[in-house]
Order: sequence, then C-alpha cells, then structure tokens
Amino acid sequence: MLKSVRYVLKENFSNLYRIFCIAKYELLADMRDSKFGLFWNFASPAIQVLTYWLIFGIAWHKKPIDNVSYLPWLVVGYSAWWFIQPCIQNGCNAVFSKTNVITKMKFPVSVLPATICAKEFFNHLCMLLIAIVTLFICGYYPTIHWLGLIYYSFCAFVFVEAVSLILSVLTMLWRDVKKLVTSLMRMLMYFSPVIWDCHFDANVPFHNILNGLMKLNPVHYIINGYRDCVFYGKTLLDHPVQGLYFWVVVIVLFVLGCMLMYKFKRKFIDLI
Amino acid sequence: MGKEYAVELEHVSKIYKLKKKDEQKNSSNKSFYALRDINVKVKKGDVVGILGTNGSGKSTLSIILSGISDIDEGNMIVRGEQALISINTGLNQQLTGLENINVKGALMGLSKKRIKEITDDVIEFAELGDFLYQPVKKYSSGMKSRLGFSISLALDPEIFIVDEALSVGDKGFAQKCMRRMEKLRDEQGKTIFFVSHSLPQVKEFCKTGMWIEGGKLMEFGDIDTVCDHYSDYVDKYNSMNDKDKKKLMEEKFEQRLITDRKTSFFDRLFSKR
Repeated sequence: MLKSVRYVLKENFSNLYRIFCIAKYELLADMRDSKFGLFWNFASPAIQVLTYWLIFGIAWHKKPIDNVSYLPWLVVGYSAWWFIQPCIQNGCNAVFSKTNVITKMKFPVSVLPATICAKEFFNHLCMLLIAIVTLFICGYYPTIHWLGLIYYSFCAFVFVEAVSLILSVLTMLWRDVKKLVTSLMRMLMYFSPVIWDCHFDANVPFHNILNGLMKLNPVHYIINGYRDCVFYGKTLLDHPVQGLYFWVVVIVLFVLGCMLMYKFKRKFIDLI
Repeated sequence: MGKEYAVELEHVSKIYKLKKKDEQKNSSNKSFYALRDINVKVKKGDVVGILGTNGSGKSTLSIILSGISDIDEGNMIVRGEQALISINTGLNQQLTGLENINVKGALMGLSKKRIKEITDDVIEFAELGDFLYQPVKKYSSGMKSRLGFSISLALDPEIFIVDEALSVGDKGFAQKCMRRMEKLRDEQGKTIFFVSHSLPQVKEFCKTGMWIEGGKLMEFGDIDTVCDHYSDYVDKYNSMNDKDKKKLMEEKFEQRLITDRKTSFFDRLFSKR
C-alpha cells in the first residue's frame, strides 16, 4: 500500500515539468481548434451561470441565501463546480485518450490524471476571474478571508486528482465507467450546493437526516468552503469535523487510486 | 555474473486474449501466444536485427524490450535504460512544428533545459524550413516522420529499440537517419534492437540477427546466416500455392492458441499478476 502511494507521488513530483507541458499544450491545441480560442474558456462558464441565474434567480425568484443575493452566491459556487465537474468527467478518459502514447512510449502513466487536473485548473482560474468581476459589480470587495480560497482550491485539486486516478484506471478495465460517470455527474450537481443550498426545510420529513446526508458529500465541503471565504468571513477552522471527514475521504480515495494505478501500470497496454 | 549482457530473456512468453467469434458463443475464451518461450542473451553494444513475417511477434517483442508491456511468463533482465523510438506518437496536429518539439520532448520526459538545447539540432536535422511554423496537420506524412524522428534522437538511453522507424521518409532522409544510427552504434556503443523488413538495411547495419516466426525464436546468431535462412524461408513460402499457404498459416495459428478459463472484470481487479 505504502509502496504504491510512494510510487505515484514520486512519479508525479519528478515529472512536474512534463505535467505542466502536457497541460499547457493541450490547452493551446484546444484554443487553436476554434477561431476565438481563449474567449471560449471565459464564455462557456459565463453562459452557464447566466442560464442558471435567469431560471432560478429571475424566473423562480430565488430568495437571498443567508443575506447574499442569488447571483453572487451562484457564481462563487459554480466556479468551484466548474473545476470539479470537468476534472471528474475527463479524468475517466485520462489514460484512455492517451492510448497512442502509452503503447508507443515508456511513459509514467500515473501522471495523466494530474495533467487533466492541471489543464482544468486553468479553466478554473478563468472562471474565478469571472466570479470576481461579478462580485465587484454586486458590491463585494476582497477581504483577508478570500485567501482561504487558496486552501479550498487545493482541497478541490487533491480531491479531483484522487477521483480521477481511480476513474481513469477503472475506465481502462471497464469502458462503461465513463458513461456511468457522465450520467451520474448531473445527479452529483443537484446533490451538491451548486445551484441550491442543499438544505431541506423543517417541513420536509426526516430533514435532519437528509441534511446530514448532504454533508457526507465531499463536494459539499469544497463548495461551501468557497462561499464561506467570500461571503461569510469564516476560516477553515469553523468546520473542524467536516474538514477532518473530507481529508479522511480524500486520503482513502487517493490511496485506493494509487493502489489501482500501481497494480495496472504495465497492464494498460493489454487492456486497450 | 552476466554483467556483459544488456538484455537476458529466459523462457519469456506473452499471451494475448482473443475475442470470441459471434457464432461460438458457448466456447471458452481463447488466449494466444504472441511470443512463446524466447531465450536470448544480448551483449552490451550489440546491434540486433529482428526479422520475421507480419504478425510473428516482432512488435510485441519490441514493446516488451522497451518495458512498455509486461511479460506473462518467464524472466527478463534488462541492464540499463531502454527507449523505443516511435516516430509519429506525441505530435499534436493543431500545433506548429516548433511547438511540437516542446510537446514531444515533454512527453519523452526531457527537462526544459534539455529541450532548449536540442531545439536547434532538431530544426537542422528535420530540414523543414518555413514549415516549422505551420501546424502539423498541414504536413505531409514524410515531413511528420522527419520531425518525429528528429525529436526522438534527443533521447539518450543505453538501449535503443527501433521498430520500423526508418522505413519512412524519402531515401535521402533514410540515409541520414542510418548515418545517425551508425554513429550511435560505433561511437557511443549503444545496444540497439532494429526491427525492419528491409533485408539489405538490416544486413548492413546489424551484427546479430534474430528471427522470430509464429511467436517462436527460430534462430539467433550471426546476421548473414540468419538473413540467408530467413530469405530462403520467405522464398519457399512465396513459391507455395495458395492452399498450402493457408494450411501453413492455420497450423501456425493453432500452435499458438491456448484455451483457458474466462476472466471477468473482478478477477482482473483482484488477480495477483
């Protein structure tokens, strides 16, 4: 177990430049593909947020949540989601999409999930820029608590890295995993506090249990963490139990991912 | 002991699983020996030409030697770092030739400094001219392989595995590549495995020959003798009529088959090997 974790960590850290380069040039290739290039990295999340805001904020009159009006609240949560969702979805394909490379080159396969996460992290930064602009327009200005975003984006990065390690190996064994994950992502979005606060009112039966269950979702911790930093001025010490739970889950997932990766590192070529 | 050998293979086998044919739903899963019981010792600095007809396991051998794929049976000892020269992998169609030097260099695991160092060499060796600033999707296949091969040369392992890499590009470039390979052979004393269908090229370049047929090692020894035996075999095969050819092919195929139990997703997940 320890051997596999050490193996994956060593391979990732000794190949940082390789990860960076692959991510950079894949982004660049994506941009070359279209005429407006970089513009779409900003436009597509903006359009998504706009859609949710028009439907839930304007048409359905979503009330301000804890004194924060819906648009800024949505934009911050969605920026976290805009990182997690594509990472998990593309993470499935991390190894499979590089088939031509791993069959023809001696290649450290375990860095592939990290390249996807690094690539999506750039998109995340674009989205954060949009979020910050929106926040300025709505009258929120940076405070010292915003620095907590660094911690929470680190949380998000480690979480998606762990998940995509597992999923990328499982997809190689069983191609259906990707389809399964794609369909489950929509569900995960509604069970995370992205477009609603994931809080059941007192008139819902078993609302205490349901609210507790919602908090078991690790994504809940990340997205609410983003909002805590921006709006409520809370630090990471305000949720010690949930924080501990989150890290236990992440470490278990990461170790599991490392073990899978270590076991199959030289078998991938036969699984294609 | 055995330090003078760069590669030692003992009873090495590689097994591939075969998909069932539709009409044989009930039959058990079949496996297939891609390589069977290979025993070879290759000295350091040796240049081995790997010969064999299509589908005889040459490419499988080269990916095993380069450490990409695992062996299923037997023992393999490799002393020194090995690298497979692969031409067209790692080039991104959207990016320009210059950017692709970075892309492929990074994929091969070169450091930023090293990529900078080799860039000029690559540009000079590939002879692309102004096409360097065009996206690779606009390249002809020969230009692509020139770029790919030039970048691959930046690798500096102890053991080179070249799998039909030189059969691309025009004659002039092929000669240039051969000269570069000869430099590696003579001046740096690298161990080279060379897979090619061009017998004259193999004869000229290699010292030792290795002939694989139907996954089995037929002969290992001096290049000229192996080449002669191999070309005799091919001539004999070509002179046969179609019926005999088919029969021989089927016989060879049958010999490589093994029937085994079905392995499911969970078996693979929890199996020891």
